[in-house]
Amino acid sequence: MKTDTYAHPEVLVETSWVSEHLNDPSLRIVETDEDVLLYEVGHIPGAVKIDWHTELQDQVMRQYLDAEDFAQLMSEKGIGRDTTVALYGDKNNWWACYAFWVFKLFGHPDCRIINGGRKKWIDEGRELSKVVPAYPKAAYQAPRRDDKTIRAFRGDVMAHLAKKLPLVDVRSLPEYTGERLHMPDYPNEGALRGGHIPGAKSIPWSKAVQENGAFKPAAALAALYHGEGITPDKDIVTYCRIGERSSHTWFVLTYLLGYPNVRNYDGSWTEWGNLVGAPIER
Amino acid sequence: MDRQEQIEFLLDHYENPRQKQPMSGEGVVAAEGGNPDCGDVIKIYLKVDGDGKTTVTFEGEGCTISQASASYLSEFATGKTLDELARLDYNDLIDALGREIVTQRTRCATLSLETLHAAIRKRARLL
Repeated sequence: MKTDTYAHPEVLVETSWVSEHLNDPSLRIVETDEDVLLYEVGHIPGAVKIDWHTELQDQVMRQYLDAEDFAQLMSEKGIGRDTTVALYGDKNNWWACYAFWVFKLFGHPDCRIINGGRKKWIDEGRELSKVVPAYPKAAYQAPRRDDKTIRAFRGDVMAHLAKKLPLVDVRSLPEYTGERLHMPDYPNEGALRGGHIPGAKSIPWSKAVQENGAFKPAAALAALYHGEGITPDKDIVTYCRIGERSSHTWFVLTYLLGYPNVRNYDGSWTEWGNLVGAPIER
Repeated sequence: MDRQEQIEFLLDHYENPRQKQPMSGEGVVAAEGGNPDCGDVIKIYLKVDGDGKTTVTFEGEGCTISQASASYLSEFATGKTLDELARLDYNDLIDALGREIVTQRTRCATLSLETLHAAIRKRARLL
C-alpha cells in the first residue's frame, strides 16, 4: 500500500483553497459544530449551517433523516446533487466528518472536509462573517439511505465480535477502560456500564490530527493504524460514544488511507453500554 | 423573545460579557466548576454587602452557551439576596436563556448556577 500520499486527496481541501473559492457557485460551504451557536458568532463567508442534532436526525426516533427529509434539507440549503459540499466545524471537525458520513449514507457524490476546520481558519486570521446567506432552493433527488455499506448496527457488531473481526474504539483512554461512564457535559448521553466492546483496539481519534487541527500525513496515519493491526485488508468497525468521533476515524481510514471496508457504529457506547446482556471488557 | 432574538441575546452576553472580572478582598468567596471535556470552566466570585445584597462576578472559558449563561447569571444575581439566589433553580435559568436553544446543552447552560450554588454553600461553611 502506498503511504506517502492520501488515498483520496480530493476529499480534503485546504483553507487557502476555500479562500479562493468563496464565490464559486458550484460549491456550498457547510459549518456544523458541537457548540450550537458558534456559526452565529461568525462563519466562513457564504457558509450555511447544518445543526447535526436538529437537522440531520429524526426528532423523535434515534435515527437519521429519511431520503425525503434529506432531500428537503439539501434543497433548503441550496445544495443540488451536483454541488460540491465542503464541510468544516469545531472540535477538530468531528461534526463535519459526522455530517460527511451522513451525506454519504445518501450517496452525495462530492463531499470534502476543510482540513483543520474552524480552528485553523480562525488561527490563520481569515475572514469571518455573521451574514446568513440565502441561496435559491435547489432540486435534490436523494436515493434511499444506505444503511449497509458504511453503517453498522448492534446486530452487525455482535456478528463482527463473534468472528473476531477488528473494532476500533476511538474514545479517550479513560472511557475505554471504563474509568469514566460518561462525559459530564452530555447528561442525556451516558451509559449504565463503562468499558469497551471486547477485543476493540483503543486508538483515540486525536492521534490522527496535528496540533493545528489538520490531519497527520498519510505515512504517520498508516503507521498509527498498521501498528495496532488495523490494516486495509480487514473488515473494520469504528465506534465512540454517539458516533461523531468515530466518523472522524471512519473518514481517516476510508478516505485518507483508502481502506475499502470500514463501517461506523453510530449507536456506539450510548447503545452498547446500556444494552442488557452485551459483553463488555475493562 | 422569538428564537432569533434569543440567539442575539445569548451572543450579546457571549461577546460582551457582564461582570466578567475577578473579585478579591475580605468576604469574597470563589468557587470553580467545569466540564473539562468540552473545555467549559467557570469561576464564580460572590460577595455579600452589609445590606445583604450580593455582588457576583465570574471568570471563564468555554462554549458560547456556558459563557453567555455565566454573564447573564452574574448580572441577574447581583443585587439579589442569598436567599433569592439559593431559590433559583435550573429551570429558571434555562427558561431565561431560551429553553429551545439550550435544551441540548443543559449541562453547559447550568454550569454557572451550579457553581454559584457551590459558592453559596462554601460561604456558609466559612462563616
